[in-house]
Amino acid sequence: MSKQITGKLYDIQGFSVHDGPGIRLTLFLKGCPLRCPWCHSPESLAFHTELNWMGIKCIGIEKCGRCLGACPSGAISPGGKRPILGGGDEEIQLVTVDRKKCGNCSACADVCPTKALYMCGTDYTVDEMMQRVHRDKPFFEKSGGGITISGGECLCQPEFVLELLKRCKTEGIHTVVDTSGFVPWKTIESVLPYTDLFLYDIKGMDSALHKQVIGVPNELILENARKIADRGGKFQIRIPVLPMYTDSAEVFDAIGKFILTLGDAVQVVQILPYHNLGTAKWERLQTSAPVFAAEVPSENLIQARKKQLESMGLNVVVH
Amino acid sequence: MYTIKPITERVRKMREQYRETQPAICTSRYKLITEFYMANRDMIGSLKRAKNLHNILSHIAIRIDSGEVIVGAQSGTYRACALYPENSVAWLKEEVESGFISTRDIDPYILAEDDRDYILGTIDFWMQECMSAKADAQLLDEYKSIAGNGVTPFGPVGQAQAPVGHFCTGYNTAIRKGFAAIKTEAEAKMRALIDDALPGATMEQYHFYRSIAIVCDGIIIYAKRYAALAAEMAENERDPDRKAELISMAECLNHTVEQPARNFHEAVQCLFLYQTALCLDANMHGMSFGRVDQYLGDFYHADIESGRITPEYAQELMDLFYLKVAEMNKPWGYRQTMSAPGYTSGQLMTLGGLDKDGNDATNGVTYMMLQSAGRLLLHDPPQALRIHKNTPEALWEAAIETTKLAGGVPSFENDDVIIPALMSRGLSLEDARDYCLIGCVEPAGCGTEWPACGGVGTESFMNLAAALILAINDGHTAVPMLNGFVPAPLGSPNPRVGIKTGYLYEMTDIDQVKQAFRAQLEYFIKWHTMIINSFEYTARNVLPQPLVSATMAGCMESGKDVMWGGAKYNSTGNAGVGIGNVADALNIINHCCFQKNICTTREMYDAVMNNWEGYDDLRAYILNEAPHFGNGLPECDGYAEFVGKCFSDTVNALTGPRGRYSAGLYPVTINVAFGAATIATPDGRMKGEPLADGIAAPQGYDTNGPTALIRSVSVINQGDFPNGTLMNLKFHPTALKGADGWKKLSLLMQTYFDMGGMELQINVISTETLRDAQKNPEKHKDLVVRIAGFSSYFVELHPSGQADLIRRTELAM
Repeated sequence: MSKQITGKLYDIQGFSVHDGPGIRLTLFLKGCPLRCPWCHSPESLAFHTELNWMGIKCIGIEKCGRCLGACPSGAISPGGKRPILGGGDEEIQLVTVDRKKCGNCSACADVCPTKALYMCGTDYTVDEMMQRVHRDKPFFEKSGGGITISGGECLCQPEFVLELLKRCKTEGIHTVVDTSGFVPWKTIESVLPYTDLFLYDIKGMDSALHKQVIGVPNELILENARKIADRGGKFQIRIPVLPMYTDSAEVFDAIGKFILTLGDAVQVVQILPYHNLGTAKWERLQTSAPVFAAEVPSENLIQARKKQLESMGLNVVVH
Repeated sequence: MYTIKPITERVRKMREQYRETQPAICTSRYKLITEFYMANRDMIGSLKRAKNLHNILSHIAIRIDSGEVIVGAQSGTYRACALYPENSVAWLKEEVESGFISTRDIDPYILAEDDRDYILGTIDFWMQECMSAKADAQLLDEYKSIAGNGVTPFGPVGQAQAPVGHFCTGYNTAIRKGFAAIKTEAEAKMRALIDDALPGATMEQYHFYRSIAIVCDGIIIYAKRYAALAAEMAENERDPDRKAELISMAECLNHTVEQPARNFHEAVQCLFLYQTALCLDANMHGMSFGRVDQYLGDFYHADIESGRITPEYAQELMDLFYLKVAEMNKPWGYRQTMSAPGYTSGQLMTLGGLDKDGNDATNGVTYMMLQSAGRLLLHDPPQALRIHKNTPEALWEAAIETTKLAGGVPSFENDDVIIPALMSRGLSLEDARDYCLIGCVEPAGCGTEWPACGGVGTESFMNLAAALILAINDGHTAVPMLNGFVPAPLGSPNPRVGIKTGYLYEMTDIDQVKQAFRAQLEYFIKWHTMIINSFEYTARNVLPQPLVSATMAGCMESGKDVMWGGAKYNSTGNAGVGIGNVADALNIINHCCFQKNICTTREMYDAVMNNWEGYDDLRAYILNEAPHFGNGLPECDGYAEFVGKCFSDTVNALTGPRGRYSAGLYPVTINVAFGAATIATPDGRMKGEPLADGIAAPQGYDTNGPTALIRSVSVINQGDFPNGTLMNLKFHPTALKGADGWKKLSLLMQTYFDMGGMELQINVISTETLRDAQKNPEKHKDLVVRIAGFSSYFVELHPSGQADLIRRTELAM
């Protein structure tokens, strides 16, 4: 009876502790319409399964080089060098992928013995996903946790998400949807009855600037937020603190005022300081490093912004 | 929000002195015992040990250092260690002669020239007189041809390199009864026996009580010597505050130990001086303090209520007490040091848990102990926190915040699993509820049991991975010398040391592999047990423990020393190492050879025997694509249950001269040494790499986070391991940030405990920090890490141990 709806995921994380109440299992769905330049999960952007490459695992073409012969498109060629692991002067020749030629066919990943080349993006049926969810049930029950469906933009795979949420609610599992809000209202409307909490990003109030930085304007995001609040949905609002973009008192003031208009729907506001731990992940896609490379905001600044929001009467945490 | 309060100035100074003083060797005890043993060759058994200790306690150098309030010491100079030639001296002779003891890369000791000369001038006396030589002489001939098998660590010589230890005696009795009363009791027993004309075999009892009376007298003399020293120092003291303090210390020392303690200060002093005396009698080796908060709680609360003490001063006393424990230390031979490095002596303290009636036992001292651990950041004493369903939230928070600061102190122990496990080896419900932890993670009766955790007087770990190698190699060793400790006298390069179980390439399904493993393991567990029994046979005659027996429940009643089975409860521990490797190896053999046809059994056999040379693809497949134990996959994890059961079924069914054996699964750091002596294993491990830690998956294979790992290890029936299990979870600090970070971690642990987990310890540290500490040890002098059952300064670990710690999966990143 169950239609074989599938979802494409790029990661699953147990003991997720910052994505909603309790101990959570966070499912990261692949594909996102936004292009935030600070994105620390670049592998989440494309909607298709794609080739990733981890240089540290490559054993070099001297010893291996199987990918060179396996690629039907001639996309792989000798690339940079690095010293062998464990010290010594010896260097090995790594490979590089020409992304224009690569068709993500996985022929190279199939023959790569160390999985330095690997395909990112795995399809799961709802049944398969629920099997994984069930394994963490004891942790949910003990901690008041549950699943968090994140991304990418998970609501770009609405049928899968809806079915998963329904199944979880039938079994009494707490559900969180982590969304940018940049999806049609009817999608949000469909999942709303099965979503206990939305993790919802507000990445700026100036729509023109929003479009300039992220690639899309913010009206739809703000409007969807209001509608969720009106229909009784609950929020954990997230504000990324980005140097030179959202870190000023003015921006926080504007965002804070907007959050206040959502009233009781907002349970907590989460400040997310920019970090650069995701930089290495960009290399795996061999695209240029993120446009946005900045100093990590200071603890003083973060605390000042926290106090600012608190003075407006909001419940704030920093993660 | 839990906070750490600042330490006082004198505590800060003493801590600094502690960190900046390099341990040295003090020959004060060595000289006393050498002279005594040379002059009293006619004496035997408990009388000899009692009189020897009396002599030591009457003459050992004593000192009260600047600022000290809690006193007692092993040696005449700060952070210097006593020597115990009556245990084992072959290593000492070798390392002193060569000077290696002062230059070795882990735990070196300063040794003065005249001390060196004295040791070398007398050590030949001990070469035959020491316990180790006597145990070697008694070794079973049948074992000699298979010594060096790699599964049991025992070689043909050196049986007692680790001394008798790993117990918790009746500290509470010492504090509340005093040794004068115990002496009186012993003398009454002697009179009664004499009146009866010493019928039957009661001569043994008579000499036991005689030894008790002698050591009680000795420890009272020892306390009075300190009282006199404090009084003398008070005379000469100009600072009026310190003078008053010295006077009160003299009063305290004149009363406590001899008489029942009257207040918190006296109770702490008695606890520590008793420990010092015990350590002067026998080499401190996992001599655990037991439930310190339970001994001290009443005294503390009474003193606070009556206004006799302020919470701040009581906390300072606790700090000073901890610094005294940290100062204590024992030199070991290099190879033993490898298994427990970092100048550690394993004087574990237990806190929290249930009381005898099943109620929560937390008191003010419980929190003070965590506070001292969190603000002193010492590697010793380690602490074990007992957890149960009603452990207060505030205690959870204090403990987790402490563990984040203090590198895995405390460890967390699950009353709900441990209490029934102890009852399964004979403890009453009341006594099981009153358990404590010994050494690293070993549960035992608190002052009621002689548990010989990890074996009595000898390291007792078994290499499970080596048993698997023998199982797939028809019982032949796969390397000429497969022994981590002592070269085995092997004639041919690959003799058969195990039983015939066939070769892997002759096996056609996984059940045959499993049965072969079970057969080899059972065979070697029996040998392992026989060697320990042989050791006990010798040791009970040579090293009776009257000062331990004076307070251990059961001894005074039965008239028997703990070494003779006098304690109320008796057991002997035996710990398996590398369950993760064997479980995963079985999983991989099944997956690759019998399910997916990735390789034949012949190819797997050849790959392992050739250290994967020529089988890079197979190994790459195992490392990168095959499913592994530790990821919450039932089809892989079932093998861990099987391996655990093979071990516990056999161990728990065996008995020694005093009682049952008791299975455990914990390695301290011997997984590194065992791994160094073990060829490649089918789980993809290369020859020489460390074995898996505790009950965890092999390093790097648990890639699905802590919830998955916890589900995996929960398939092992931990209640079958009354000698303890060890589970190390390492977290990057970011994983636990935020105001409710501690809460979520506590819920993770509680879920594990609900699922049958016995013990858990947490490392909150980043690999970046660890790597930096490797490169710049000066910057990270204070970095404490949890190794296994104990904590250590990271910079003091052996490089291989450092690398092992870094390799362990960084969870939740």
